[in-house]
Amino acid sequence: MLKVTNIGKTYGKFTALKNINLEVADGEFLAIMGPSGSGKSTLINILGLLDQSYTGEYLLKNKNYKTVSDNFLSRIRGDQLGFVFQNFKLLTTYNVYENIEIPLIYSKKEQNNKRELVEDVIEKVGLKGKEKNRPSELSGGQQQRVAIARAIVNHPNLVIADEPTGALDSKTSKEIMDIFTKLNQDGTTIIMVTHDSEVAEYAMRTVYIRDGRLYNDEKSVKKS
Amino acid sequence: MTDKILIAFKSIGKNKNRNFLTMLGIIIGIASVICILAIGDGFAHTVTKGMGNHNTRNKVVIMYQPTTEDNTDGGFTNNDEAVLEKIPGVEHVKLTSSVVEAGAKAQYKTKNVTMSLNKQPKHLKLVKGNYFQMSGASNGVYISEDLAHKLFKKNVLNRLISIDGTVFVVQGIYHISDINYRPDAYVSKTVFKQLFANQISKDEARLSVGPKANKKWIGKRAVKQMKKMGEQKNIGTYEVSNPDQVSKQFTKILNDITYFIAFIAGISLLIAGIGVMNVMYITVSERRKEIGIRRAFGATSNDIRNQFLIESVVLCVIGGVIGIIFGYLLVAIINAFLPFKAVITAYALILSLSVSTAVGLIFGFIPSNKAAKSELVGLLKEE
Repeated sequence: MLKVTNIGKTYGKFTALKNINLEVADGEFLAIMGPSGSGKSTLINILGLLDQSYTGEYLLKNKNYKTVSDNFLSRIRGDQLGFVFQNFKLLTTYNVYENIEIPLIYSKKEQNNKRELVEDVIEKVGLKGKEKNRPSELSGGQQQRVAIARAIVNHPNLVIADEPTGALDSKTSKEIMDIFTKLNQDGTTIIMVTHDSEVAEYAMRTVYIRDGRLYNDEKSVKKS
Repeated sequence: MTDKILIAFKSIGKNKNRNFLTMLGIIIGIASVICILAIGDGFAHTVTKGMGNHNTRNKVVIMYQPTTEDNTDGGFTNNDEAVLEKIPGVEHVKLTSSVVEAGAKAQYKTKNVTMSLNKQPKHLKLVKGNYFQMSGASNGVYISEDLAHKLFKKNVLNRLISIDGTVFVVQGIYHISDINYRPDAYVSKTVFKQLFANQISKDEARLSVGPKANKKWIGKRAVKQMKKMGEQKNIGTYEVSNPDQVSKQFTKILNDITYFIAFIAGISLLIAGIGVMNVMYITVSERRKEIGIRRAFGATSNDIRNQFLIESVVLCVIGGVIGIIFGYLLVAIINAFLPFKAVITAYALILSLSVSTAVGLIFGFIPSNKAAKSELVGLLKEE
């Protein structure tokens, strides 16, 4: 799915990422763990084509998008990637249906029935009957379901989730992780950032990040 | 596109009060534009109708002007008509009079007044008496309040007055407003024809010419012929009358007025536009999170720019439509006070909507561009 070689990122004198090498296979479920400020979000911004100012090489589906136009990059994001942001990032003035519909507005994929696509995904995340509700009328767990539905409505190849259970209790976290597991079983590649080791256990593989460096197992993090 | 328009309506509806206040400038500006154009068009329509804007395309008009003011007689004779008809290219000649009224002297007891009179019109609003079409030989007369006051010092009916030696009975009295010109008296059609029509000199010769005729040449030639052979060439002059010229001058004055008021309307729309720009800047900074989310889910910077431009245009067009409705109401009110009817043309509506759209596009562009150019990672940090 993607291959990262020697990626680095600095903010002025501060090194946020250094020599990151990572490969994620199609259909994999990868967890990235690390404390706050370790560079997790910076890394997934690069992986999600949200941030293009980095050094090194990043190939998504064997293609390097470093030098493509901003508009082209938007299309790639819209059609190939799906995001579940920290704190849900839903539009509060839009209802559930309208929030989920957003990626389809800009998608260039051929879709005959957008309505059907939205309704399918609403059913998949268990929000049937809540279509007309505003995010403020939903619980945290339900809001996260809306965010997941929005991320997968356009059938992306890769879903990137930043702390998807960060704001949820353990019972709701489990429900949300079950949705991710099911999604992965259906063939979607998932990269998830978390600082919760229980949540990371749902992933097939976990990598660790600390002070901008990536480690393949917990022991090597501790050694460093 | 439909999605973007719906989003625009939703966003505008979210801040109704703020957006209504922003629209107010546009509403006033557009309502003014509608009023200005309606009054201008109505005025032009009334004036050109009043000027007798008949088909002058195939006509050349030669005017006779007496040399001295004392001598109001004279003009074209039947012999002159025959001379003019012989000019190559002229198909037909009709002698008419630029003045349709006759002048006469009215006398009541010892009072003598110079007055103008004409044959009675179909309708006439009286301040005293009843109006009806008088029979052929009737000696009835309708006189103006002004004449009544000069003769009797008050409005009284059934008095006998003498007009050029013939006795008439006052049947009714009418008011002459400042705007509608009327002669001092009206008599029946038959009486007018018998007693007064011959006084009116034929001071206009209307030459009907073929469609391919050279009007300029015919005009010059006709004047030359009349100066040489006109029966009354010694007591008057001849010249080509050019109605196009008059209406052109008038149109120019009207245009100047329109440009001036359009300039004022332009300034109010400029201020309205700055208001729109301000509110769009606020909208963009309030919706940074939304812009970030849309960009992450596939919206290009063009999509974002268009989204905000559409919002700005929708805002202005809503203002424009309300302005048009408001303008209609104003025109209806103004019409109650105007001596002519202000008319709203399709051109005025199209212009108003185009101006609203243009204000939206021009003043929405910079804020929209700012939204489109924002850095994505920064936008996604917004809560």
